Amino acid sequence: MVMENVATHEDWKVCFSELAPGLLLFARQWVCSAADAEDVVQEAFVRFWRRGLDLRNRALLYSAVRSAALDLIRRDGRRARRELEAGGEIEQATQPQFEQMDDAQRELAAALDRLPREQREVLVMKIWNELTFAEIGQTIGVSQNTAASRYRYGLGALKKMLEEARTTPARTIATL
Amino acid sequence: MNDIENELRKLRPTRPSNGLPIRIGMALADAGKLRDDVITPHRFRVNWVGLGLGVAAAAAFLIVARLDVHPPAATRHPVASNSTAPPRDRASEVSSYQAIGLTQVVYSKRNEGLLFPPGSATPVRRLRTTRHETMRWEDPHTGARLQVSYPAEEVTLIPVSGQ
Repeated sequence: MVMENVATHEDWKVCFSELAPGLLLFARQWVCSAADAEDVVQEAFVRFWRRGLDLRNRALLYSAVRSAALDLIRRDGRRARRELEAGGEIEQATQPQFEQMDDAQRELAAALDRLPREQREVLVMKIWNELTFAEIGQTIGVSQNTAASRYRYGLGALKKMLEEARTTPARTIATL
Repeated sequence: MNDIENELRKLRPTRPSNGLPIRIGMALADAGKLRDDVITPHRFRVNWVGLGLGVAAAAAFLIVARLDVHPPAATRHPVASNSTAPPRDRASEVSSYQAIGLTQVVYSKRNEGLLFPPGSATPVRRLRTTRHETMRWEDPHTGARLQVSYPAEEVTLIPVSGQ
């Protein structure tokens, strides 16, 4: 008996090719390397598919990625300590999260990395994954209004960081 | 804010490596082999039609039980003096007493989960209902009343169809 919402192999390939970049970027909020992010996305995606969940339920899908990332961190004690100590300020410059950036974009990406994690994950879900605030709230377990607030604070903080960097050229934000 | 949003949207997240879809494909293929052996939560969706029929049957049973409180005198069966006889029959032995009411208070209805009866292709959900019943009789000539209360329990098995 085939469950109605279980994607066939061809279906998942189409879905995955559309969702993969955003899912990987989302996973990178918790892990430093692209390889770890791929492991997280693979585990979450397969777990999601095995349970016969609807791929259109994006809040649940991103929750699965978040959960898989946290599981990975817990499994690796040393990594957990490192990530927890670093908190949202972790340096993720080892591997770029975006393709083909010019200087201004590198500056923007670096500023994004400097955001508190709670704001950055909302921006990532909203900008590159196009989730609604309701879906974002469902994913991270906060209200829709809180998600929207974090989004606004995140954008405001980014704007402030970029303005400061441009008015004081000596202080470069990062050199990706 | 819109400027920042637009600038952010111009950033393109990195694509996954070529190996990732292959690894996922292999994992999904393995999962597919296991899928037939695993009963997923979606197969346990409540069959509302079945549940409705079950409730209707239970309601019909209760109505019949209630009507049976007033059996015609001609159809009354003699009741042996058995300690397990239902109170209503024993009360009817008392001359001129007539049943005047039955109260059923359901104080517990528990879903005991799915069962897989031997030989059955589909699982069934077991619902256990516990209630307290009170029956009342009255002698119209003397106005004397008799009331009996006792606990009752009912187990309902509802077939659950898969998807």
